[in-house]
Amino acid sequence: MNEKTRFMLALITPAALVLMLFQIVPILTGANVSFRDWTLHDPKRTWVGLANYVHVLRDVEFLEIVLPNTFGFMFATVALSLLLGLMIALMLNKRFPGRWLVQSFVLLPLMVAPVIAAIMIRWMFNDQFGVVNAALEGLGLAPISWLTQRWTTFLVILLTDVWLWTPWFGLILLAGLQSLPREPFEAARIDAASAWRTFRYITLPMLRPVMVVCIVIRAIDAFRTFDIVWTISGGGPARATEVFSIYAYVESFQFLNLARGSAAAVIGAIIIVIFALLLYRILNRFVEVSK
Amino acid sequence: MPERQFRSSIRLCVAIALGLVLSTGIFSAQAQDRELKVGYMKNPIQDASLDIMEKWAKANGVKLTRVPMAYSVFMEKVTTTLTTGNDQFDVIWHNDDWGQLWKKWLETTDDVRGIDNADQWPLLAFWDDEKKLTVVPMAHTVGTFFYRTDLVKPEEVPTTFAQLVSVSQRLQKEGKIKWGYVGGMNMNNTWFSLWWTMWANNCDILKPLFERDNAKLAAAKFEPAVTAPCHREIVEFWWDAINTHKISPPGMTAYGRNEANAIFMAGEAAFTLVDSTHFGEFNDPKRSKIVGKIGMAPFPVGPRAQKPTSWNEIWGWAIPKGVPAERKKLAKEMLSAMMSDEAGQIEMWKKTGGPPPNVKLWPKLAADDKDFAALKHAVFDQTPITHSAYYFAEWPAVHKAYSDMAIAALSGKREDIPKVLAEHVERIQRAATGN
Repeated sequence: MNEKTRFMLALITPAALVLMLFQIVPILTGANVSFRDWTLHDPKRTWVGLANYVHVLRDVEFLEIVLPNTFGFMFATVALSLLLGLMIALMLNKRFPGRWLVQSFVLLPLMVAPVIAAIMIRWMFNDQFGVVNAALEGLGLAPISWLTQRWTTFLVILLTDVWLWTPWFGLILLAGLQSLPREPFEAARIDAASAWRTFRYITLPMLRPVMVVCIVIRAIDAFRTFDIVWTISGGGPARATEVFSIYAYVESFQFLNLARGSAAAVIGAIIIVIFALLLYRILNRFVEVSK
Repeated sequence: MPERQFRSSIRLCVAIALGLVLSTGIFSAQAQDRELKVGYMKNPIQDASLDIMEKWAKANGVKLTRVPMAYSVFMEKVTTTLTTGNDQFDVIWHNDDWGQLWKKWLETTDDVRGIDNADQWPLLAFWDDEKKLTVVPMAHTVGTFFYRTDLVKPEEVPTTFAQLVSVSQRLQKEGKIKWGYVGGMNMNNTWFSLWWTMWANNCDILKPLFERDNAKLAAAKFEPAVTAPCHREIVEFWWDAINTHKISPPGMTAYGRNEANAIFMAGEAAFTLVDSTHFGEFNDPKRSKIVGKIGMAPFPVGPRAQKPTSWNEIWGWAIPKGVPAERKKLAKEMLSAMMSDEAGQIEMWKKTGGPPPNVKLWPKLAADDKDFAALKHAVFDQTPITHSAYYFAEWPAVHKAYSDMAIAALSGKREDIPKVLAEHVERIQRAATGN
């Protein structure tokens, strides 16, 4: 081993150790637990094979409520955040007085911890003290019990997530926009192309690779959303807004069945890996076609 | 970098790291000799109980370290430390909800001085398999029916469900309050609406009704009682309270105790039912608009009950088995001091509304303190019909399945209630049997 290789290994080792200790080992431990009889209060640790996986995959709630909710939430939040983030990026890509102030203001949600935001939103949508109902009543409309029905609760969760993540899309897409070559835009201007056609046929196709990365990263993250759903609704009313991570958490830490929760987590991980690969492939093909 | 220099640098780093680890271990071992760490939930009553222990700790040169945790993660976190034999905490908060889950991981406490002065009824959840106790009571947690004394005279306080509706509606019509009754209802707050009315209507969750012997419940295959008429009646009662009589807020199915308490403390509701341990909070002028205007009364009863019922459980302290013997001994001395400190327990009641664990103090306290006399009449003088939880490992799953059923029934149409209850029988049974 030459000096260069040793030096390289010395640089990599700390990061590799951290990754191993805090990512790989916990994942392997969790996977090991999922094949055993392992409750949190009385871990017998006996091997039970795929029993926990079979239980989760046969659970009607998991199949008919949890997975549809998770995918529905993922699609909705990614689509809305992408759309709004793109609009913000396009706006901030233009020069106007006070742009730095708007940019700072737009980025504020990124600086708020999701749990804090969720607590704040829960009280904002409280049917008695909430500012949202106060505004509705001020407009002469009837107040709404936001958190007692499935779709209104889902809407509150979705709005919170979109509010938190739109600036992230905006920031990345703005960086993408600012790195685009100027020549195609100058050519379009010379050809007197309208703003819409410039956006449709130049900006959007050139921005697609950045959008693909954003969509894939955010979709994976949205699939495992926990904090805001737990804080706003706890997966309720009843189990109407329960998503995959809440299911795994409840099994592990409310029902204390760590093995079943781990099995759910592994199933979720497999689903999201397959989904992310498919999504990446589809979106990448879309980018290739647009080139 | 030459190889020799590289190797010596690595050796130096390893030596420094080892030195640090060893010295930290030695110093922490020295410090731990006279230190007790308490893992607890941040709550005025638990802090008041810790204040009693702090007096003993200061007098005996022991450092008492408080490690507060949120309720939502407490049980999970402490369960993990117990099962791994970790001695992170010398004393931990203990609760009947998870009393049986921890029985094999806790030190027995029968030899703690003053334990004989504790009420025996709430200790059911805390016996281990050898019939040894694993808890030292800190305070009683009793569901208490609170009413506004400035709005309702003692003789007008509802004694039945029907009166709860009629008195609430009268006060609403008179414009004195926005809501009649408010209470927590979502998961982990089921006691403060559905369950108190369930027991007050002579009903229960599993068959045989009011049975808490796990063997007998298992023999009955953990059959839910949720389709029984007594049970359907209480779900219908709450549906009507929210939608027909409108004495409770429409959002109540999503309320935890924080939301419900906020409405009561804002002076917008006449009645609530919550643990007596919130009495101090209701009388805190910094947080409440109804200070000094709160009375306590027995639970109103449903159509199937003849007399009021109550629930009477405890919060307690426990010592993990993994704690070294010396610190176990020290912890027991501290808990003995807490159990024997009558002045401290009375102060805890006066500061927080936490009823003392030493029941021999109760008659004296009731004679001197009108609030305790009211609580004693409202709760301790009533006979509990059963315990306010079940004590088997799958109880949290049963609670969740029950809560999902009730919230689903209350969120739908009134005529669908029997159907929703019937649909959930199998789910509750599956939850109870771990399938």
